[in-house]
Parts: sequence; structure tokens; C-alpha cells
Amino acid sequence: MKPAVLTAGVAEPVIRLDGLRFAWPGQKVLLAIDDFVVAQGSTVLLQGASGSGKTTLLSLIVGVLSAQQGSVHVLGQNLSQMRPAQRDVFRGESIGVIFQLFNLLPFLSVRDNVLLPVRMFARRRLQIKDTDAQRREASRLVTALGLSDAVLDRQAHQLSVGQQQRVAAARALIGSPPLIVADEPTSALDEDTQSNFLALLIAQVRATGATLLMVSHDSRLAGQFDQVIRL
Amino acid sequence: MKLWLQLAAQSAWARRGPLSLVVAAISVAVFLVLAIAQLRQDARDSFADAVSGVDLIVGARASPTELLLYSVFHLGRPVRSMAYEHVEAIAKLESVAWAVPVQLGDSYRGYPVVGTSPLFFEKTGGPGGLAFASGKAFSDVFDAVLGADLAKRFSLNTGDSLVLTHGKGEGLAQDHSDRPFTVSGVLQKTGTPADNAVFISLAGFEAIHIGWEFGSKPRESVVAQLSAEDLQALTPSQVTAVLVGLQSRIQVFSARRAIEGLAGGRLMAILPGVTLDELWQLMRTIENTLSLMAWLVAVSALLGVAATLLIALGARRKELAIFRALGARPSQLSLFVVFESVLVCLAGLVLGWLLLQLAVLGAGDWVRNSFGVMVSPRLPDAQGWAAMLGLLFMSVLASVVPAWRAFRLSVHDGLHPPTV
Repeated sequence: MKPAVLTAGVAEPVIRLDGLRFAWPGQKVLLAIDDFVVAQGSTVLLQGASGSGKTTLLSLIVGVLSAQQGSVHVLGQNLSQMRPAQRDVFRGESIGVIFQLFNLLPFLSVRDNVLLPVRMFARRRLQIKDTDAQRREASRLVTALGLSDAVLDRQAHQLSVGQQQRVAAARALIGSPPLIVADEPTSALDEDTQSNFLALLIAQVRATGATLLMVSHDSRLAGQFDQVIRL
Repeated sequence: MKLWLQLAAQSAWARRGPLSLVVAAISVAVFLVLAIAQLRQDARDSFADAVSGVDLIVGARASPTELLLYSVFHLGRPVRSMAYEHVEAIAKLESVAWAVPVQLGDSYRGYPVVGTSPLFFEKTGGPGGLAFASGKAFSDVFDAVLGADLAKRFSLNTGDSLVLTHGKGEGLAQDHSDRPFTVSGVLQKTGTPADNAVFISLAGFEAIHIGWEFGSKPRESVVAQLSAEDLQALTPSQVTAVLVGLQSRIQVFSARRAIEGLAGGRLMAILPGVTLDELWQLMRTIENTLSLMAWLVAVSALLGVAATLLIALGARRKELAIFRALGARPSQLSLFVVFESVLVCLAGLVLGWLLLQLAVLGAGDWVRNSFGVMVSPRLPDAQGWAAMLGLLFMSVLASVVPAWRAFRLSVHDGLHPPTV
């Protein structure tokens, strides 16, 4: 009989794609990935030329799109077998998403933006149950990402692009989801801000033991990641 | 649900500038719909109150509606008079409990003067009759009782004197200044035409018209030469109408036949409730037309809501994508749009209702004086609530197309809407 500790030690990959085929309706196959694995706790940079399907791949991994063939396993769940609504809940509970630009809802304050995942999903408030704890965590995250916590009381549209990206990172991280997916989060930032932002993001991801999958066309960033995958 | 309602409220509040115009449009529609419903109900209530307790109204044969409007509501053109001997004959009928004659024609600063008997205050105005706020019914020939609003408007109190005007006071001023009246009492407010009338005795009405047989002021006042006994004994030769109460309402049709038989077919007895119903039947077409117009305004306001939401969606595709990334389902985003429409409509409903209450406060007197209808600020009645619910339902309908589009866009765009 195998000792239990051994099976627990062989960590299930956070993302596993098998024989994936995806094509937009009426177009030729865009993505054909036979084997793609992202290990738990790693930071991975996904690179590829424009039109290579990086963004589409992210949409498949977060469950907004579904593949015509093959399977997409994320955090041990087979997304291909889930209904769209189940995939939406799964994404909200377990994945933090950061876009290139326009991450924040303009009609909410910065704090409300950061706390929105916590309000939407019970699983994101498991460790921060009461309002005070949630406010403290929002404050801790924005500070850790290099902002003053005074920004929390401002409206989202009053912030600079760099500040907005940090707030978006705080929102993705709140409630400690096991996977963070970022689509070119640094491309709208200038060079200094880029590496600083990335360093702070990676530090926070590592602090919670989460996995980071980030898409970027900028190969200069590669050094900061555990692994680089080219499409 | 609650979260999406909160988010819809926050989103709507952030766009309060453009949305306030839509709210204004809805509130105008709500104002119209509720105003028509309220006026209609208030008109019915006021008119019904004014004839409550009166079983029959008797007058010279004419149009029943004209007799009712003129004799009770002092509206419309004067009807022909009836002979006073018939009043006495009616009062003697076995089925008749009481008969109160009314004589109209004169005015006080534009308000009607009603010649009647003191019984008027006991028998009309519902159970218990008309109550006095101060003083008492007229006992002297030249005593006058004032309605509450009229007394307040001209700051008249018990003991004050007033001069009546012959006719409606149009054309050459022909007043009865040779014989002023003294206020013996002021009535409590009732919401009926009594609030705006001056009541005097039939003897008083007759006395100020001695020598006026040719319709104009006599050169020498005759009244002044009459003794108190002569004055008390004056009886009119004619009255405008008689209000009749019966021993039992079951006898209403036989009493009517008996009364109409008294003067060889020259008299007519009407049932005020039935005549009012006929009047409302006549009004129905107008009411329906007004209602239809109000609802059409509502439809156009809600089309405005739909258009605003739809136009906004184009610019908000990025917001939909953010929500999707956070785990929102497309159906929740549809709900978000519906909630925003409902909230905007709710704001319009509240504002429209408030506008109506302000209008009622501001123009209530004018409505009462012009149409004899007593209006007062209040919560909507069942019909008003139904109308408001209907509008709310329409606001959901108005959001169907934008909500469907939000659903389609959020499914189609996923996390990547076209760059805005």
C-alpha cells in the first residue's frame, strides 16, 4: 500500500491541457496544444507573436470559452465537462484575472472594486469573514502593491493607469484565489513601473502560494518568472 | 440579487446626470397618470358627499344633469324655477320625511348665495348634517351662514356684515347694499360646495328682492319700510329646487311618481346617485382619452429609458467584461440592466407622485373653485397603486431589449470586448 504522504506529495498541476483544439466559428484551428502543464506555485510567462492565440488560451483556461476538442483541467477540475454557469462560478471563486487596461468599474470606489470578488463569492471571504477584516485586507494588499491606502476611498476613474493596474492586482489577489491570470498587465506601464509592479505582484503571489500565469509579448520580463512558455 | 441591486444603484448614481433627464420624463408621465386617477376619484367622492343624505332632488322639468349641477353644485346655467306651493305640497306627502327648498341666483363676490331653510344644515352633508365651526343657523331674516372656505377667504366671522350682489355680479354692479346681512354662523369644512357658499333664509332672499321685479335696483328701498313681522312672514313665490329626504328609501320610485304628478308633469324628481352616474358616463370618454394620453406619455418616457440603456451599453462593454472576469454570469448582467431600469423608474414614480402632491397643495383651491372638486395631498389609492405597478412592469419591459443585448454582448465579448 502506498503511503498517503507520497500521493499528496505528487502535486496535481494547476493547469493541464490535453489534445486541445480551438477554432473560432468558420475559421481554421487557432490553437492546437497537445500537452501544456503549469505546476502549482510556479510563475509562468506565456509568450507568443500577435495572433498566436495567447489571449484565447487564457479565455479557455479561465472558462469563458470552451474547446471543441481535448480537455482543460484547472485546479483539478475538468472545465470541458462543466456547464458555462459552473465555469463562471469556478472562475469567480478560484481565479484572479488582471487585464491590460480598464480593469476597474468606474462607478465604484477603489475599495468597492477591490472587495467586489469578496462580495460576489463566499469562497473568497473564507479567511476574511467580517467587514473589518475585509477592509484591513484590502488596505494591506494595496499597500503591499505600492499604493497608499488613501486611494481606497477615491473613485476608480481618478487613478492613473499605473495605480489602476495595482488596484486590479489587489482585486485579483483578495481572498487568496489559487490561480492568478494576467493578460499583458504591464504593457500600458512605463519601463520602471513595469518591473516594480511585476516584482510586487510576484511577491504577493508567492506569499499566498498561488500560481501566476501571465501573458506578455515583452521578453525582457522573462527573468522574473520560474518558467517561460512560447506558443 | 441584493448585490446586483446595490451595484445597479451605484451604477445609476454614477450616471445620475443623464439619467436624471430620463427620471424627469418618467415623473411627468407618472404625474399625469396619477393626477387623472386622483381627480377622477376626488371628483366622484366630492360630488357623492355633496348629495349624501338627499334621496330626491325636485325641480322644474329640464335636463336632470343640469338640475343636479346647478341646484347642488352651483355649476352650469340656471334652471327654471318651480312654484313655492309645490314645495309645501311635497313636504306634506306621506313618504316624504323632509323637504328643503333652495333658491339660487344671487352671489357674494362671485360665490353663490343659497336661500334655504335652517333644515338644510341638519339634513344635507351626510349623517349629522353640516356642523358649525362658530355661531349658529340663521334665525333673523337678515342673518347669513358662511361656508368654511368662503369665510376664511374674506376673513369674515360671526357678527360681521356683508352685502350680497344681485345675480352673478356681472355687468353693472347691482348690489343689495340697502340691506346688508349679518353673519350668524360659519360652517365647518366639508369638502362639498357648501364650503364656498353663503346661506340665507328664504325670507331674506325674498326681502332683498322686493321692488326688483323688473330685474334692476328699485329707486327707493322698499325693504327699509317693512316691519319685522312683515319680513318674517315673507314667503317666496318660486324656488330653484327642493332637496327631499324620504321616510324609507324603498319608497323612492313611488315618491318620485307622486311628486311628478303634483304639478301636471311640470315637475321632475331625480335620484342624485343615478344622475351622477349618468354624468360620469358622459365623462368617461373624456377620462379615457386623458388616460390614454397619459399612458402614451409613459410609453414614450420608458422608450427613452430603453434607448438610454441601449446607448450606454455600447460604451459599457468593458464593464461587462470586467464583471465576466470576476465570475458574473451573462444572466446576472442582464439582471443588472433590468435593475437599473427599474430603479430609474422607481425614482420617476416617487418624483412624479411628489410633484402631484405639490401641485395639489398649490392648485387645490383653484381646482375646488373652478370645478367644485376637493383635492388633497395623499397616498395613491388602489387605482393609483395599480397604475404605478403597471409603470414599474413597463420599466421591466423597457429593459428587456437592453438586457438581452447585455447578455449577448457579454457572451460574445467574453473578456475581450473591442477596444473602446
